[in-house]
Amino acid sequence: MAFDGREGHLSSALSCTDLLVALYNGWLNVSPDKPKAPDRDRFYFSKGHACTALYAALADAGFMPKQTLSSYGKTDSPLPNHSCRHALPILENSAGSLGHGLGLATGALYGLRLDNNPARAVVLMSDGECNEGSVWESAMFAAAQKLGNLLAIVDNNGLQAVGRSDVLMGHTSLEEKFRAFGWAARTINGNNMTEIVAALADVPFEKDRPTAIIAKTVGGSGIKFMEDQVLWHYRTPSEEEKNRALAELGEAPLQKELSHA
Amino acid sequence: MRKAFAEALFQAAEKDPRVIFLTGDLGFGTFDAYQAKFGPRYVNVGVAEAQLVNAAAGLALEGWRPIIYSIASFATGRPFEQIRISVGYAGLPVVIIGAGGGYTYASSGVTHHAGEDLGLMSLIPGMTVVAPGDPNEVAQLLPQLLKLSGPSYLRVGKYGEPAYQADDAVVLGRARLLREGNGADFAVVSTGQITSVVLDALELLKPDGIAPTVMQFHTVQPLDIVALDSLAKKVQTIIVVEEHMPVGGLAAAISTWRAARVSGPRIVRLGPPQALLLGNPTVPEMRKRLGFDAQAIAEMCRTIARPASRGGSVSAAQPANARLTSDPT
Repeated sequence: MAFDGREGHLSSALSCTDLLVALYNGWLNVSPDKPKAPDRDRFYFSKGHACTALYAALADAGFMPKQTLSSYGKTDSPLPNHSCRHALPILENSAGSLGHGLGLATGALYGLRLDNNPARAVVLMSDGECNEGSVWESAMFAAAQKLGNLLAIVDNNGLQAVGRSDVLMGHTSLEEKFRAFGWAARTINGNNMTEIVAALADVPFEKDRPTAIIAKTVGGSGIKFMEDQVLWHYRTPSEEEKNRALAELGEAPLQKELSHA
Repeated sequence: MRKAFAEALFQAAEKDPRVIFLTGDLGFGTFDAYQAKFGPRYVNVGVAEAQLVNAAAGLALEGWRPIIYSIASFATGRPFEQIRISVGYAGLPVVIIGAGGGYTYASSGVTHHAGEDLGLMSLIPGMTVVAPGDPNEVAQLLPQLLKLSGPSYLRVGKYGEPAYQADDAVVLGRARLLREGNGADFAVVSTGQITSVVLDALELLKPDGIAPTVMQFHTVQPLDIVALDSLAKKVQTIIVVEEHMPVGGLAAAISTWRAARVSGPRIVRLGPPQALLLGNPTVPEMRKRLGFDAQAIAEMCRTIARPASRGGSVSAAQPANARLTSDPT
Protein backbone atom coordinates (compact mmCIF):
# COMPACT_ATOMS: atom_id res chain seq x y z
CA MET A 1 0.00 0.00 0.00
CA ALA A 2 2.77 2.41 0.93
CA PHE A 3 4.50 1.64 -2.35
CA ASP A 4 1.40 1.92 -4.55
CA GLY A 5 0.06 4.98 -2.72
CA ARG A 6 3.49 6.64 -2.61
CA GLU A 7 3.02 7.51 1.03
CA GLY A 8 5.24 6.33 3.85
CA HIS A 9 4.71 6.19 7.59
CA LEU A 10 5.55 2.50 7.39
CA SER A 11 7.48 2.62 10.63
CA SER A 12 4.43 3.92 12.51
CA ALA A 13 2.04 1.54 10.75
CA LEU A 14 4.06 -1.61 11.31
CA SER A 15 4.71 -0.86 14.98
CA CYS A 16 0.99 -0.95 15.79
CA THR A 17 -0.07 -3.78 13.48
CA ASP A 18 0.08 -6.46 16.20
CA LEU A 19 -2.07 -4.26 18.45
CA LEU A 20 -4.67 -3.81 15.72
CA VAL A 21 -4.72 -7.54 14.97
CA ALA A 22 -5.37 -8.28 18.64
CA LEU A 23 -8.10 -5.62 18.91
CA TYR A 24 -9.97 -6.68 15.77
CA ASN A 25 -9.68 -10.41 16.40
CA GLY A 26 -12.19 -10.83 19.15
CA TRP A 27 -11.55 -8.09 21.68
CA LEU A 28 -13.39 -5.12 20.19
CA ASN A 29 -17.15 -5.48 20.21
CA VAL A 30 -17.59 -4.37 16.60
CA SER A 31 -19.17 -6.11 13.65
CA PRO A 32 -19.03 -5.51 9.90
CA ASP A 33 -22.71 -6.47 9.76
CA LYS A 34 -23.68 -3.66 12.11
CA PRO A 35 -20.88 -1.10 11.93
CA LYS A 36 -23.04 1.53 13.64
CA ALA A 37 -24.61 -0.69 16.32
CA PRO A 38 -25.43 1.62 19.25
CA ASP A 39 -23.61 -0.53 21.81
CA ARG A 40 -20.50 -1.17 19.70
CA ASP A 41 -17.13 -0.36 21.18
CA ARG A 42 -15.94 3.02 19.92
CA PHE A 43 -12.50 2.69 18.42
CA TYR A 44 -10.62 5.94 17.79
CA PHE A 45 -7.51 5.51 15.71
CA SER A 46 -5.74 8.71 16.67
CA LYS A 47 -2.37 8.27 14.92
CA GLY A 48 -3.90 8.94 11.50
CA HIS A 49 -0.60 8.94 9.64
CA ALA A 50 -0.34 5.18 10.31
CA CYS A 51 -3.71 4.45 8.71
CA THR A 52 -2.37 1.83 6.28
CA ALA A 53 -2.31 -0.51 9.28
CA LEU A 54 -5.86 0.46 10.24
CA TYR A 55 -7.15 -0.10 6.70
CA ALA A 56 -5.47 -3.49 6.51
CA ALA A 57 -6.96 -4.46 9.87
CA LEU A 58 -10.43 -3.31 8.79
CA ALA A 59 -10.20 -5.27 5.53
CA ASP A 60 -8.90 -8.30 7.41
CA ALA A 61 -11.85 -8.09 9.82
CA GLY A 62 -14.35 -7.87 6.96
CA PHE A 63 -15.25 -4.18 7.21
CA MET A 64 -14.32 -3.66 3.57
CA PRO A 65 -13.26 -5.82 0.63
CA LYS A 66 -9.52 -6.36 0.37
CA GLN A 67 -9.68 -4.93 -3.15
CA THR A 68 -10.39 -1.54 -1.60
CA LEU A 69 -6.89 -1.50 -0.14
CA SER A 70 -5.39 -1.03 -3.60
CA SER A 71 -7.06 2.40 -3.79
CA TYR A 72 -5.01 3.65 -0.83
CA GLY A 73 -3.62 7.13 -1.38
CA LYS A 74 -5.37 7.61 -4.73
CA THR A 75 -7.42 10.74 -5.41
CA ASP A 76 -11.01 10.41 -4.13
CA SER A 77 -10.23 7.05 -2.53
CA PRO A 78 -12.13 5.98 0.60
CA LEU A 79 -8.66 5.33 1.98
CA PRO A 80 -6.72 8.61 1.92
CA ASN A 81 -3.27 8.81 3.49
CA HIS A 82 -4.69 10.28 6.67
CA SER A 83 -7.91 8.56 7.71
CA CYS A 84 -11.01 10.64 6.91
CA ARG A 85 -14.51 9.90 8.15
CA HIS A 86 -16.06 11.67 5.17
CA ALA A 87 -14.21 9.26 2.88
CA LEU A 88 -14.77 6.19 5.06
CA PRO A 89 -17.89 6.68 7.21
CA ILE A 90 -17.44 3.47 9.21
CA LEU A 91 -14.68 5.27 11.12
CA GLU A 92 -15.49 6.96 14.42
CA ASN A 93 -13.14 9.85 13.69
CA SER A 94 -10.94 11.49 11.13
CA ALA A 95 -7.29 11.72 12.08
CA GLY A 96 -4.02 13.21 10.96
CA SER A 97 -3.60 15.91 13.57
CA LEU A 98 -2.37 14.41 16.83
CA GLY A 99 -3.89 14.73 20.28
CA HIS A 100 -7.59 14.59 19.43
CA GLY A 101 -8.64 10.93 19.75
CA LEU A 102 -8.43 10.75 23.52
CA GLY A 103 -10.54 13.89 24.00
CA LEU A 104 -13.20 12.64 21.59
CA ALA A 105 -13.31 9.32 23.43
CA THR A 106 -13.78 10.98 26.82
CA GLY A 107 -16.67 13.12 25.58
CA ALA A 108 -18.31 10.20 23.83
CA LEU A 109 -18.00 7.99 26.92
CA TYR A 110 -19.42 10.67 29.18
CA GLY A 111 -22.46 10.83 26.91
CA LEU A 112 -22.74 7.05 26.57
CA ARG A 113 -22.72 6.70 30.34
CA LEU A 114 -25.57 9.21 30.63
CA ASP A 115 -27.44 6.98 28.18
CA ASN A 116 -26.63 3.85 30.23
CA ASN A 117 -24.86 2.49 27.18
CA PRO A 118 -22.21 -0.09 28.16
CA ALA A 119 -20.01 0.58 25.12
CA ARG A 120 -16.30 0.95 25.75
CA ALA A 121 -14.02 3.46 24.06
CA VAL A 122 -10.56 2.53 22.85
CA VAL A 123 -7.97 4.97 21.60
CA LEU A 124 -4.86 3.87 19.77
CA MET A 125 -2.38 6.70 19.90
CA SER A 126 1.31 7.23 19.41
CA ASP A 127 3.99 8.07 21.92
CA GLY A 128 4.92 11.17 19.95
CA GLU A 129 1.27 12.13 20.24
CA CYS A 130 1.77 12.27 24.01
CA ASN A 131 3.92 15.37 23.40
CA GLU A 132 0.62 17.17 22.85
CA GLY A 133 -0.75 18.99 25.90
CA SER A 134 -4.30 18.17 24.87
CA VAL A 135 -3.61 14.49 25.66
CA TRP A 136 -3.00 15.37 29.29
CA GLU A 137 -6.04 17.64 29.50
CA SER A 138 -8.04 14.61 28.35
CA ALA A 139 -6.22 12.26 30.71
CA MET A 140 -7.11 14.53 33.65
CA PHE A 141 -10.76 14.70 32.61
CA ALA A 142 -11.01 10.92 32.15
CA ALA A 143 -9.76 10.27 35.67
CA ALA A 144 -11.89 13.04 37.20
CA GLN A 145 -15.00 11.61 35.55
CA LYS A 146 -14.02 8.02 36.47
CA LEU A 147 -14.32 6.80 32.90
CA GLY A 148 -13.67 3.14 33.65
CA ASN A 149 -14.77 2.12 30.15
CA LEU A 150 -11.87 3.96 28.55
CA LEU A 151 -8.77 2.22 27.24
CA ALA A 152 -5.86 4.16 25.78
CA ILE A 153 -3.17 2.15 24.05
CA VAL A 154 0.03 4.04 23.43
CA ASP A 155 2.10 2.66 20.58
CA ASN A 156 5.43 3.36 22.22
CA ASN A 157 7.73 2.73 19.25
CA GLY A 158 10.14 5.36 20.52
CA LEU A 159 10.38 7.09 17.16
CA GLN A 160 9.01 10.45 16.12
CA ALA A 161 9.12 12.32 12.84
CA VAL A 162 12.62 13.67 13.37
CA GLY A 163 13.72 12.37 16.75
CA ARG A 164 13.34 9.84 19.52
CA SER A 165 10.40 10.17 21.90
CA ASP A 166 12.40 9.17 24.97
CA VAL A 167 14.76 12.09 24.43
CA LEU A 168 11.96 14.51 23.64
CA MET A 169 10.09 13.47 26.80
CA GLY A 170 13.17 13.89 28.98
CA HIS A 171 13.58 10.14 29.65
CA THR A 172 10.37 10.02 31.68
CA SER A 173 7.98 7.11 31.89
CA LEU A 174 4.63 7.18 30.08
CA GLU A 175 3.26 4.59 32.48
CA GLU A 176 4.16 6.74 35.48
CA LYS A 177 2.67 9.80 33.84
CA PHE A 178 -0.67 8.10 33.25
CA ARG A 179 -0.60 6.75 36.83
CA ALA A 180 0.08 10.24 38.13
CA PHE A 181 -3.00 11.40 36.22
CA GLY A 182 -5.13 8.84 38.04
CA TRP A 183 -5.13 6.02 35.50
CA ALA A 184 -4.39 2.34 35.91
CA ALA A 185 -1.44 1.68 33.62
CA ARG A 186 0.77 -1.21 32.54
CA THR A 187 3.68 -1.53 30.14
CA ILE A 188 3.83 -4.52 27.80
CA ASN A 189 5.68 -5.73 24.73
CA GLY A 190 3.37 -4.46 22.04
CA ASN A 191 4.77 -6.75 19.37
CA ASN A 192 4.19 -9.88 21.42
CA MET A 193 0.73 -11.26 20.74
CA THR A 194 0.59 -13.29 23.95
CA GLU A 195 1.34 -10.24 26.08
CA ILE A 196 -1.12 -8.06 24.18
CA VAL A 197 -3.94 -10.57 24.49
CA ALA A 198 -3.22 -11.09 28.19
CA ALA A 199 -3.24 -7.36 28.90
CA LEU A 200 -6.47 -6.81 26.96
CA ALA A 201 -8.10 -9.65 28.89
CA ASP A 202 -7.36 -7.74 32.12
CA VAL A 203 -9.02 -4.49 31.00
CA PRO A 204 -10.18 -2.61 33.00
CA PHE A 205 -7.18 -2.97 35.25
CA GLU A 206 -9.00 -1.19 38.08
CA LYS A 207 -12.67 -0.41 38.57
CA ASP A 208 -13.72 3.19 37.78
CA ARG A 209 -10.29 4.11 36.48
CA PRO A 210 -9.37 4.60 32.84
CA THR A 211 -6.82 2.06 31.62
CA ALA A 212 -3.58 2.81 29.77
CA ILE A 213 -1.54 0.15 28.05
CA ILE A 214 1.92 1.38 27.17
CA ALA A 215 2.84 -0.93 24.34
CA LYS A 216 6.59 -1.00 23.79
CA THR A 217 6.91 -1.62 20.12
CA VAL A 218 9.51 -1.50 17.40
CA GLY A 219 9.03 0.98 14.58
CA GLY A 220 8.90 -0.91 11.28
CA SER A 221 8.38 -4.14 13.22
CA GLY A 222 8.84 -7.28 11.13
CA ILE A 223 11.07 -5.78 8.45
CA LYS A 224 14.66 -5.84 9.60
CA PHE A 225 16.02 -2.96 7.53
CA MET A 226 13.22 -0.66 8.68
CA GLU A 227 13.21 -1.56 12.36
CA ASP A 228 13.85 1.32 14.76
CA GLN A 229 14.96 3.67 11.98
CA VAL A 230 13.71 7.28 12.14
CA LEU A 231 14.24 7.39 8.36
CA TRP A 232 11.21 5.15 7.83
CA HIS A 233 8.77 7.54 9.43
CA TYR A 234 8.42 9.33 6.10
CA ARG A 235 10.27 7.25 3.50
CA THR A 236 8.27 5.44 0.84
CA PRO A 237 9.87 2.20 -0.27
CA SER A 238 11.53 1.76 -3.65
CA GLU A 239 10.60 -1.23 -5.82
CA GLU A 240 13.65 -3.07 -4.55
CA GLU A 241 12.90 -2.22 -0.91
CA LYS A 242 9.29 -3.29 -1.31
CA ASN A 243 10.34 -6.66 -2.70
CA ARG A 244 12.87 -7.17 0.08
CA ALA A 245 10.25 -6.31 2.69
CA LEU A 246 7.67 -8.67 1.21
CA ALA A 247 10.24 -11.43 0.96
CA GLU A 248 11.08 -10.97 4.64
CA LEU A 249 7.43 -11.18 5.58
CA GLY A 250 6.85 -14.09 3.19
CA GLU A 251 3.98 -12.15 1.58
CA ALA A 252 2.91 -11.55 -2.01
CA PRO A 253 2.28 -8.01 -3.30
CA LEU A 254 -1.29 -6.83 -2.72
CA GLN A 255 -2.28 -6.95 -6.40
CA LYS A 256 -0.96 -10.46 -6.82
CA GLU A 257 -2.76 -11.63 -3.72
CA LEU A 258 -6.00 -10.08 -4.97
CA SER A 259 -5.67 -11.58 -8.47
CA HIS A 260 -5.26 -15.03 -6.94
CA ALA A 261 -8.10 -14.55 -4.51
CA MET B 1 -26.64 39.28 27.72
CA ARG B 2 -25.11 36.69 30.00
CA LYS B 3 -28.25 36.48 32.10
CA ALA B 4 -30.27 36.14 28.89
CA PHE B 5 -27.93 33.38 27.79
CA ALA B 6 -28.20 31.49 31.11
CA GLU B 7 -32.00 31.67 30.86
CA ALA B 8 -32.05 30.64 27.21
CA LEU B 9 -29.73 27.74 28.04
CA PHE B 10 -32.03 26.60 30.83
CA GLN B 11 -35.03 26.68 28.52
CA ALA B 12 -33.17 24.87 25.75
CA ALA B 13 -32.14 22.11 28.15
CA GLU B 14 -35.70 21.78 29.41
CA LYS B 15 -36.98 21.45 25.87
CA ASP B 16 -34.32 19.10 24.54
CA PRO B 17 -32.94 16.32 26.78
CA ARG B 18 -29.88 16.04 24.51
CA VAL B 19 -28.65 19.56 25.36
CA ILE B 20 -25.53 19.38 27.53
CA PHE B 21 -23.49 22.30 28.85
CA LEU B 22 -19.72 22.26 29.30
CA THR B 23 -17.69 25.07 30.78
CA GLY B 24 -13.98 25.72 30.89
CA ASP B 25 -14.16 26.62 34.58
CA LEU B 26 -15.98 29.91 34.00
CA GLY B 27 -19.36 31.39 34.83
CA PHE B 28 -19.26 31.46 38.64
CA GLY B 29 -22.83 31.68 39.89
CA THR B 30 -24.25 32.19 36.40
CA PHE B 31 -25.36 28.61 35.89
CA ASP B 32 -26.36 27.60 39.42
CA ALA B 33 -30.01 27.13 38.49
CA TYR B 34 -29.06 25.09 35.44
CA GLN B 35 -26.65 22.93 37.41
CA ALA B 36 -29.20 22.30 40.16
CA LYS B 37 -31.81 21.21 37.66
CA PHE B 38 -29.79 19.28 35.10
CA GLY B 39 -27.02 17.73 37.23
CA PRO B 40 -24.74 15.67 34.97
CA ARG B 41 -25.73 17.75 31.95
CA TYR B 42 -23.50 20.41 33.50
CA VAL B 43 -19.80 19.58 33.09
CA ASN B 44 -16.88 21.67 34.29
CA VAL B 45 -13.90 20.28 32.38
CA GLY B 46 -11.49 22.64 34.12
CA VAL B 47 -9.18 25.25 32.65
CA ALA B 48 -8.64 23.03 29.64
CA GLU B 49 -10.07 24.52 26.46
CA ALA B 50 -8.68 21.84 24.15
CA GLN B 51 -10.45 19.22 26.21
CA LEU B 52 -13.56 21.39 26.42
CA VAL B 53 -13.87 21.31 22.63
CA ASN B 54 -12.79 17.71 22.07
CA ALA B 55 -15.11 16.37 24.77
CA ALA B 56 -17.96 18.36 23.22
CA ALA B 57 -17.11 16.88 19.83
CA GLY B 58 -17.16 13.38 21.33
CA LEU B 59 -20.57 14.09 22.84
CA ALA B 60 -21.87 15.44 19.54
CA LEU B 61 -20.70 12.24 17.82
CA GLU B 62 -23.02 10.39 20.19
CA GLY B 63 -26.01 12.56 19.36
CA TRP B 64 -25.76 15.12 22.15
CA ARG B 65 -26.17 18.87 21.58
CA PRO B 66 -23.19 20.32 23.44
CA ILE B 67 -23.00 24.01 24.31
CA ILE B 68 -19.54 25.00 25.45
CA TYR B 69 -18.67 28.12 27.38
CA SER B 70 -15.60 30.19 28.10
CA ILE B 71 -14.37 33.77 27.83
CA ALA B 72 -14.35 34.64 24.13
CA SER B 73 -10.58 34.95 23.86
CA PHE B 74 -10.10 31.53 25.49
CA ALA B 75 -13.04 29.92 23.69
CA THR B 76 -11.82 30.75 20.20
CA GLY B 77 -8.08 31.37 20.01
CA ARG B 78 -6.83 28.83 22.47
CA PRO B 79 -8.63 25.74 21.11
CA PHE B 80 -8.67 26.90 17.50
CA GLU B 81 -7.04 23.63 16.45
CA GLN B 82 -9.66 21.53 18.24
CA ILE B 83 -12.48 23.64 16.76
CA ARG B 84 -10.94 23.38 13.29
CA ILE B 85 -10.39 19.62 13.40
CA SER B 86 -12.73 17.95 15.88
CA VAL B 87 -15.71 20.25 15.30
CA GLY B 88 -15.19 21.88 11.90
CA TYR B 89 -13.71 18.99 9.92
CA ALA B 90 -16.27 16.63 11.41
CA GLY B 91 -19.09 19.17 10.87
CA LEU B 92 -20.51 18.57 14.33
CA PRO B 93 -23.32 20.63 15.90
CA VAL B 94 -21.33 22.11 18.78
CA VAL B 95 -22.41 25.58 19.95
CA ILE B 96 -19.44 27.62 21.15
CA ILE B 97 -20.21 30.51 23.49
CA GLY B 98 -17.64 33.29 23.72
CA ALA B 99 -18.47 35.37 26.79
CA GLY B 100 -17.10 38.88 26.79
CA GLY B 101 -16.59 38.94 23.04
CA GLY B 102 -14.77 41.77 21.32
CA TYR B 103 -13.41 44.25 23.84
CA THR B 104 -15.94 43.64 26.61
CA TYR B 105 -12.95 43.06 28.89
CA ALA B 106 -11.03 46.05 27.56
CA SER B 107 -9.83 47.01 31.02
CA SER B 108 -8.59 43.48 31.78
CA GLY B 109 -5.80 43.67 29.25
CA VAL B 110 -4.73 42.02 26.03
CA THR B 111 -5.11 38.43 27.27
CA HIS B 112 -8.84 39.06 27.68
CA HIS B 113 -9.42 40.96 24.45
CA ALA B 114 -11.23 39.05 21.73
CA GLY B 115 -10.88 41.49 18.86
CA GLU B 116 -10.49 38.51 16.51
CA ASP B 117 -13.15 36.09 17.76
CA LEU B 118 -15.57 36.58 14.85
CA GLY B 119 -12.71 36.38 12.36
CA LEU B 120 -11.26 33.18 13.78
CA MET B 121 -14.62 31.49 13.83
CA SER B 122 -15.53 32.77 10.35
CA LEU B 123 -12.42 31.01 9.06
CA ILE B 124 -13.87 27.60 9.91
CA PRO B 125 -15.81 26.21 6.92
CA GLY B 126 -19.45 25.61 7.83
CA MET B 127 -19.32 27.64 11.04
CA THR B 128 -22.29 29.91 11.71
CA VAL B 129 -21.01 33.03 13.48
CA VAL B 130 -23.39 35.14 15.49
CA ALA B 131 -23.00 38.32 17.57
CA PRO B 132 -26.30 39.39 19.14
CA GLY B 133 -26.73 43.05 19.98
CA ASP B 134 -28.94 42.79 23.03
CA PRO B 135 -30.30 40.25 25.52
CA ASN B 136 -33.41 39.60 23.44
CA GLU B 137 -31.36 38.63 20.41
CA VAL B 138 -29.36 36.19 22.57
CA ALA B 139 -32.59 34.58 23.73
CA GLN B 140 -33.96 34.43 20.18
CA LEU B 141 -30.83 33.13 18.49
CA LEU B 142 -29.69 30.33 20.81
CA PRO B 143 -32.67 28.06 20.03
CA GLN B 144 -32.09 28.67 16.31
CA LEU B 145 -28.42 27.70 16.61
CA LEU B 146 -29.48 24.47 18.32
CA LYS B 147 -31.44 23.50 15.21
CA LEU B 148 -28.38 23.64 12.98
CA SER B 149 -26.75 20.43 11.83
CA GLY B 150 -23.29 22.04 11.97
CA PRO B 151 -21.18 24.12 14.35
CA SER B 152 -21.83 27.66 15.52
CA TYR B 153 -20.26 30.45 17.52
CA LEU B 154 -22.29 32.82 19.67
CA ARG B 155 -20.61 35.93 21.01
CA VAL B 156 -22.19 37.30 24.16
CA GLY B 157 -21.15 40.39 26.10
CA LYS B 158 -21.54 40.53 29.85
CA TYR B 159 -24.33 41.78 32.10
CA GLY B 160 -26.69 44.70 31.71
CA GLU B 161 -26.45 45.61 28.03
CA PRO B 162 -29.40 47.81 27.04
CA ALA B 163 -32.22 46.16 25.13
CA TYR B 164 -33.62 47.78 22.01
CA GLN B 165 -36.93 47.53 20.22
CA ALA B 166 -37.45 46.68 16.57
CA ASP B 167 -40.36 45.20 14.65
CA ASP B 168 -38.20 42.97 12.48
CA ALA B 169 -37.95 39.42 13.78
CA VAL B 170 -34.64 37.92 14.89
CA VAL B 171 -34.00 35.29 12.23
CA LEU B 172 -30.69 33.47 12.06
CA GLY B 173 -28.85 34.31 8.84
CA ARG B 174 -30.94 37.39 8.15
CA ALA B 175 -29.87 40.95 8.86
CA ARG B 176 -32.32 42.68 11.16
CA LEU B 177 -33.76 46.03 10.16
CA LEU B 178 -33.71 48.17 13.30
CA ARG B 179 -34.59 51.58 11.86
CA GLU B 180 -35.97 52.41 8.43
CA GLY B 181 -34.06 55.31 6.88
CA ASN B 182 -35.79 58.57 6.11
CA GLY B 183 -34.27 60.47 3.23
CA ALA B 184 -30.67 59.48 3.91
CA ASP B 185 -28.78 57.76 1.10
CA PHE B 186 -26.58 55.81 3.46
CA ALA B 187 -27.03 53.03 5.99
CA VAL B 188 -25.32 52.15 9.24
CA VAL B 189 -24.81 48.45 9.82
CA SER B 190 -23.21 46.76 12.80
CA THR B 191 -22.88 43.52 14.69
CA GLY B 192 -22.81 42.64 18.35
CA GLN B 193 -23.02 44.85 21.39
CA ILE B 194 -21.93 48.01 19.56
CA THR B 195 -25.37 48.06 17.93
CA SER B 196 -26.98 49.81 20.89
CA VAL B 197 -24.31 52.52 20.55
CA VAL B 198 -25.32 52.96 16.91
CA LEU B 199 -28.86 53.55 18.11
CA ASP B 200 -27.53 56.11 20.62
CA ALA B 201 -25.84 57.87 17.71
CA LEU B 202 -29.16 58.00 15.91
CA GLU B 203 -30.63 59.92 18.84
CA LEU B 204 -27.76 62.43 18.58
CA LEU B 205 -28.59 62.90 14.89
CA LYS B 206 -32.23 63.80 15.45
CA PRO B 207 -31.56 67.57 15.71
CA ASP B 208 -29.71 67.33 12.39
CA GLY B 209 -32.65 65.64 10.71
CA ILE B 210 -30.43 62.78 9.59
CA ALA B 211 -32.06 59.35 9.70
CA PRO B 212 -30.11 56.55 8.01
CA THR B 213 -31.27 52.97 7.67
CA VAL B 214 -29.87 50.90 10.54
CA MET B 215 -29.35 47.18 10.25
CA GLN B 216 -27.97 44.72 12.76
CA PHE B 217 -26.02 41.86 11.23
CA HIS B 218 -26.23 39.55 14.22
CA THR B 219 -25.26 36.76 11.83
CA VAL B 220 -21.81 37.46 10.42
CA GLN B 221 -21.47 34.05 8.75
CA PRO B 222 -23.20 33.15 6.56
CA LEU B 223 -23.47 36.81 5.58
CA ASP B 224 -26.93 38.01 4.53
CA ILE B 225 -26.12 38.84 0.93
CA VAL B 226 -29.78 39.26 0.04
CA ALA B 227 -30.07 42.12 2.53
CA LEU B 228 -26.88 43.72 1.21
CA ASP B 229 -28.00 43.44 -2.41
CA SER B 230 -31.24 45.07 -1.45
CA LEU B 231 -29.44 47.79 0.50
CA ALA B 232 -27.18 48.42 -2.48
CA LYS B 233 -30.23 49.50 -4.49
CA LYS B 234 -31.13 52.10 -1.91
CA VAL B 235 -27.96 53.68 -0.58
CA GLN B 236 -24.66 55.13 -1.79
CA THR B 237 -22.70 54.38 1.36
CA ILE B 238 -22.69 51.69 4.02
CA ILE B 239 -21.06 52.65 7.32
CA VAL B 240 -19.97 49.52 9.14
CA VAL B 241 -19.47 49.81 12.89
CA GLU B 242 -17.82 46.88 14.63
CA GLU B 243 -16.11 46.06 17.88
CA HIS B 244 -13.63 43.74 16.21
CA MET B 245 -10.32 44.20 14.46
CA PRO B 246 -10.60 44.96 10.73
CA VAL B 247 -9.26 41.57 9.64
CA GLY B 248 -12.04 39.01 9.66
CA GLY B 249 -14.83 41.15 11.02
CA LEU B 250 -18.14 42.36 9.59
CA ALA B 251 -16.55 45.13 7.55
CA ALA B 252 -14.19 42.61 5.99
CA ALA B 253 -17.07 40.28 5.18
CA ILE B 254 -19.09 43.12 3.64
CA SER B 255 -16.04 44.31 1.69
CA THR B 256 -15.69 40.81 0.26
CA TRP B 257 -19.33 40.98 -0.83
CA ARG B 258 -18.67 44.41 -2.37
CA ALA B 259 -15.51 43.20 -4.14
CA ALA B 260 -17.58 40.60 -5.98
CA ARG B 261 -19.72 43.36 -7.53
CA VAL B 262 -18.80 45.64 -10.42
CA SER B 263 -20.47 48.56 -8.71
CA GLY B 264 -22.11 49.21 -5.42
CA PRO B 265 -22.05 51.30 -2.32
CA ARG B 266 -18.94 52.72 -0.74
CA ILE B 267 -17.94 50.96 2.48
CA VAL B 268 -16.79 53.07 5.42
CA ARG B 269 -15.65 51.37 8.60
CA LEU B 270 -15.58 52.53 12.20
CA GLY B 271 -13.96 50.30 14.79
CA PRO B 272 -10.72 49.39 16.49
CA PRO B 273 -7.55 49.16 14.39
CA GLN B 274 -5.52 46.01 13.69
CA ALA B 275 -3.33 46.62 16.73
CA LEU B 276 -2.76 45.68 20.32
CA LEU B 277 -4.96 47.57 22.73
CA LEU B 278 -2.77 48.63 25.62
CA GLY B 279 -3.54 50.91 28.55
CA ASN B 280 -6.44 48.88 29.98
CA PRO B 281 -9.14 51.46 29.19
CA THR B 282 -12.77 51.08 30.19
CA VAL B 283 -15.12 50.17 27.33
CA PRO B 284 -16.53 53.73 26.92
CA GLU B 285 -13.00 55.18 27.02
CA MET B 286 -11.81 52.70 24.43
CA ARG B 287 -14.71 53.39 22.07
CA LYS B 288 -14.16 57.12 22.41
CA ARG B 289 -10.41 56.97 21.89
CA LEU B 290 -10.64 54.58 18.98
CA GLY B 291 -13.32 56.65 17.30
CA PHE B 292 -16.39 54.45 17.36
CA ASP B 293 -18.49 55.77 20.22
CA ALA B 294 -21.90 57.37 19.65
CA GLN B 295 -20.38 60.82 19.01
CA ALA B 296 -17.92 59.47 16.45
CA ILE B 297 -20.61 57.43 14.69
CA ALA B 298 -22.91 60.49 14.58
CA GLU B 299 -20.09 62.65 13.25
CA MET B 300 -19.36 60.17 10.48
CA CYS B 301 -23.05 60.15 9.59
CA ARG B 302 -23.01 63.96 9.36
CA THR B 303 -19.93 63.82 7.14
CA ILE B 304 -21.53 61.30 4.82
CA ALA B 305 -24.82 63.19 4.79
CA ARG B 306 -23.23 66.54 3.82
CA PRO B 307 -23.57 66.97 0.03
CA ALA B 308 -20.13 68.66 -0.10
CA SER B 309 -18.45 65.47 0.94
CA ARG B 310 -19.76 63.46 -1.99
CA GLY B 311 -16.87 61.95 -3.84
CA GLY B 312 -14.43 63.44 -1.39
CA SER B 313 -12.31 61.47 0.96
CA VAL B 314 -13.79 60.14 4.14
CA SER B 315 -11.53 58.85 6.82
CA ALA B 316 -12.43 57.46 10.17
CA ALA B 317 -11.29 59.26 13.28
CA GLN B 318 -7.85 58.13 14.36
CA PRO B 319 -7.07 57.10 17.92
CA ALA B 320 -6.50 60.29 19.87
CA ASN B 321 -4.11 58.66 22.25
CA ALA B 322 -1.26 56.92 20.49
CA ARG B 323 -0.34 55.06 23.66
CA LEU B 324 -3.64 53.29 23.56
CA THR B 325 -2.62 51.24 20.57
CA SER B 326 0.79 50.07 19.67
CA ASP B 327 2.24 48.41 16.66
CA PRO B 328 4.71 45.77 17.83
CA THR B 329 6.81 46.37 14.73
